[in-house]
Amino acid sequence: MGSTSSQLDKDALSEYQELTFLTKQEIILAHERFSAMLPQEYKGATNIRLPMEKILEMPELKSNPFNKRICHVFSTSQPNDGSLTFEDFLDLLSAFSEAATMEIKSHYAFRIFDSDNDGTLGREDLEKMVTLLTGDSKDTSLNGEEMGQLINNILEESDIDKDGTVNLSEFQHVISRSPDFVSSFKIVL
Amino acid sequence: MTSYNNGGVFNPAYHDSETLEVDKRSSRKPHHSNPYANEDLALWGERADLRNDAEHGSHRGGWQEESRRVEESIPMGFITTNSTSASWQHNVYQSSLQIDGDSHYDPSPAARPISSMSGNMTMRWRGIAMRRMSMFPNSDPAFTEEEAEDEEQNLVKELVALSTREQVRQIRGLPMSFERKKHIRRQVMAFKSSKHSQHFTGFTDCSKNISLSFRRCGYGIKSARQTLELWHGIMKEIGGKFGSSVLTYFMFLKWLLMFNIFSFLVNFGFITIPLLVHDLSPNIPSNVSFRGLELLTGAGYFNYTVMYYGGYSNETLRGLVDYNMQLAYFFTIAIYMVLCGIVLIFSMANSFKKNYALADSASNSAWQLLCSWDFSITNDKTVRQRKSNLRVQLKESLSEKSLKKRLTLSEKLQQYGIHLGCWVLSTSLAVGCGASIFYLCQYEQEAMDSGPWSLLNEAETLLVPFVVSLMNMVIPLFFSLLNKFELYSNQRRQIYALLLRNVLLRMVILGVLCYYWMNVVPGRFLCWEPMVGQALYRLVIIDFLFLMLGSFFGEFLSNVIGTQLLPRFGVPEFDVARNVLDLIYAQTLAWIGIYFSPLLPAIQILKFFILFYLKKVSLTQNCQPPRRSSRAAQMQTIFIFLLFFPFFVGALSMVAYTAWSLTPSEQCGPFHGLNNTFSVVEIWIAGLEGSSDWVVWIYENIIRSELFYFLLTLIIIVIIYVFWQLIQGRKELIGLLRQQIINEGKDKSFLLDKLQYLQKSYSEIPAGPIKQKGPSSRRSDGHSSGSQSNSNAMVQVLLARQQLEEEEQRRSLGGVSVPSDISASSAMTQALLARQRAERQNEDFYQMPEEHPSSLNALDQAMAARQRALDDERDEYWSTTDFNERNSSASAVTQAMQARLRAEEDRGDDPADLPSPTSSVMIQVMQARQRAEEEERMQWAPDPLQNPAPSGSSALIQAMLARQQAQNEYDDGY
Repeated sequence: MGSTSSQLDKDALSEYQELTFLTKQEIILAHERFSAMLPQEYKGATNIRLPMEKILEMPELKSNPFNKRICHVFSTSQPNDGSLTFEDFLDLLSAFSEAATMEIKSHYAFRIFDSDNDGTLGREDLEKMVTLLTGDSKDTSLNGEEMGQLINNILEESDIDKDGTVNLSEFQHVISRSPDFVSSFKIVL
Repeated sequence: MTSYNNGGVFNPAYHDSETLEVDKRSSRKPHHSNPYANEDLALWGERADLRNDAEHGSHRGGWQEESRRVEESIPMGFITTNSTSASWQHNVYQSSLQIDGDSHYDPSPAARPISSMSGNMTMRWRGIAMRRMSMFPNSDPAFTEEEAEDEEQNLVKELVALSTREQVRQIRGLPMSFERKKHIRRQVMAFKSSKHSQHFTGFTDCSKNISLSFRRCGYGIKSARQTLELWHGIMKEIGGKFGSSVLTYFMFLKWLLMFNIFSFLVNFGFITIPLLVHDLSPNIPSNVSFRGLELLTGAGYFNYTVMYYGGYSNETLRGLVDYNMQLAYFFTIAIYMVLCGIVLIFSMANSFKKNYALADSASNSAWQLLCSWDFSITNDKTVRQRKSNLRVQLKESLSEKSLKKRLTLSEKLQQYGIHLGCWVLSTSLAVGCGASIFYLCQYEQEAMDSGPWSLLNEAETLLVPFVVSLMNMVIPLFFSLLNKFELYSNQRRQIYALLLRNVLLRMVILGVLCYYWMNVVPGRFLCWEPMVGQALYRLVIIDFLFLMLGSFFGEFLSNVIGTQLLPRFGVPEFDVARNVLDLIYAQTLAWIGIYFSPLLPAIQILKFFILFYLKKVSLTQNCQPPRRSSRAAQMQTIFIFLLFFPFFVGALSMVAYTAWSLTPSEQCGPFHGLNNTFSVVEIWIAGLEGSSDWVVWIYENIIRSELFYFLLTLIIIVIIYVFWQLIQGRKELIGLLRQQIINEGKDKSFLLDKLQYLQKSYSEIPAGPIKQKGPSSRRSDGHSSGSQSNSNAMVQVLLARQQLEEEEQRRSLGGVSVPSDISASSAMTQALLARQRAERQNEDFYQMPEEHPSSLNALDQAMAARQRALDDERDEYWSTTDFNERNSSASAVTQAMQARLRAEEDRGDDPADLPSPTSSVMIQVMQARQRAEEEERMQWAPDPLQNPAPSGSSALIQAMLARQQAQNEYDDGY
């Protein structure tokens, strides 16, 4: 794969390094992985948009319960169909990398959990999130009462200003108190 | 109209549908997002030029803005044409703009990257933007656009001011899309270069190049480190399958391996290589040959090599430079130990800061369970398992919350009894182990003394390490069994108890061994240090064998039992805590041994290397992922702490004791003939006298001076005290801030209730009079001059009143707390008056509905005022403290109400002149708002520490209400 790495020219590489939390190796690896997913005639180009279905075939994202949300959050396409350019892809990896700051990680986690994109985690968002995390088949998911109680607990814990939703700063407050988050919000290529 | 669809947003079905989400986003995005975020790349398409794209985006944004403004300005027209749905439409329109300004402005996803450009320095902007959004949710919609531009410019400016390194860090930390970061970076660069071009170019170019090359170099080093990263693939595989808590073990193993590699390099480089270079052939007696058993016992042949202390000489090696072996030996080991200590302290402190200081005490809170979802897991089966585990845990947390049963006294006593019994049992077990090891050592010594040195004799030396390792393996299993009988309410406490007992056991064992080595061994041998080295070597090797056995028995056998014989037990989990403790124990042996056997780290490296693969295979073959999400990060902190506190500190003090107090053996080693090891330094200093006096001075006055250490300790204690006080202060501040947030939240919800109530009352009015609005607004042009003068008079009256009230207020603020009932009751009176007035007006309204379209506002106002007064009164009863603030807030309410009443009167007085009250109310409202703001300032200025939030926020409420009113008036006016 040496030939693909050379397709990233030096300036672009250093720019990627400056703008993301990734190291050179990681960027090159990301590029290799990305171009491996491209169809033959577009090999190595960085400005191509890879559709979400292709991205989700990656083993790193395949079984992730939030994989679709992740694609939507990091996609810059208009309208948002979850497709990623190489730069979006780098953005994704950067946010999920080891070196990324808590601030970045919690910001993106918030957006990933915020499935209706309204900027706060309302009850529906939380419910959706819990459903994604606990499996959605009939026999396994929490029943309505449990769900309601759980959501109440969550809101009680985190909704400091008592407006019935969890906003970004409240979310970050919660995150800062659960140290496992940073170590687990990680996708390694 | 298509671009702004409120109905859709308010329809819950629309909310939930995945498919429509896309167009909803796209329809909303252009309003708020920065144009540069709009990327217009088609699928598989070519890359649009950034600048072009940006222009395109801003153009489009502008157009949409315009269309929106049009929409906003013509709602009445819209309503007139469609009168049946008019009130509904209007209501939704209003609520979307005002009540739920939240859902559109403040946090809309596209606006967020702008409003929350985070990083410390942008925090301020975020605060401003947020506040503005919540304060003026219905201000000029174009502000987001301009604001975004502004903020970006500000950001760029602030970035330019920073150093390059900081710049890179900050840009990297912006939560924006790559495109935007790139854009900002380019802007910053362009700004910088334009600034630079004004200066002398030669020097700056040069320095720029240098800094660039430095940065490149830094990246290069980082990348090289990445390449050197051991076992990247394996780590990923383990993390993907077993999650991060199991990965902790492997990370820890790797970390210790790095320690040992460093230690080996240092020792080998500074002690062994000079000796080998000087004298290649080890002076082995001719009758000693390599027999193979040495690999286990470390005795015999190895005794004469550089493996142990005895193999080194005390000579000064004379070559190109003089190399004092004694000093080299002493300083290498001392510096290594100090470096180890520093690294441990730093990683411990760092880990504490990250994982412990902020951590919540409630271990099972739902958020924590949800947030600790492992994104690195890639294995499908594991994901499924994790999901079901998480579900079980969530259910548990729910039931725990609902069934927090109180134990009776007897139950409690029983539980304490069990705990006490377990502790006594485990402690006595540990002590018993220590005692038996001591006697075993003595027995071994006697056996060795009695007969001549033979192979059997040598094999007998393996007895002690064998027993020690056996104890290390078996007794923890017993402890785990014991742990099962104890019923701990808290899983964490259970783990800690187990951990503590294991640590105790190992400390006792190591303590006894060290005591034996320090006190008994030196008296018995002429050359005692290598004997201790040998003993340590044996311990390390046997421990390794037992670790392998342990993973065989612990994991393989229980797997077989679990899968074949007793399925009840199930497939075993990887016991991270026990395995990590084994590692810590092994590392402690290596640290103790470093003085006696400088090349022991080499053995340790080999051991850890093999162990890594062994554990990996054992894990993937035998184990299943852990069922509970144990708090990996915190456990890691505890492990590092344990490694530091009893174990490293113990090893360090043991080595220090040996170097300071014990007499080195007479016959061998680098320090033979000296009273103690440390006297090497004294001799060296004495030799330096005359040539470099400053070293001598430092030695005499700092290293050996009690006064210096006394002062140092004193200073450190003072600093610690100051920091402690600071922490206390911060804690208090955090408490205050938290209270403030809660208060603000209450105010917000109260305000929302009020607004919703207003909306409701507004929408209850039949749509008829609204029809009048069109003509009335047209009429307003004609009467503008009249209304002007009217409102001027109004303003004056208001000002006078304001002055009066301010005085009154000052009096009440300055004086002793006035009973709150007075103001409350006066508010009450006001409210009643207002109500009366409103009712009268209402009657009027019904009598001549055509003529008094604005009176419904009066009704609104009165209702609101009444409610407010009531609420205020309720507040009064709720909180009997904070009289001063309450009073002032109550008076603010009164004030606002009076102003409003005045407005209504005015309106009542001249019903013909309809538009004038509208505009005068506007002005009035502005005044009220201004006053509220003034008041807020006043509240904050004199004593900001006395929790002035309530009054401030009630002033805020006033302002918001006033604004709402203004909006109503404004809309009606059109």
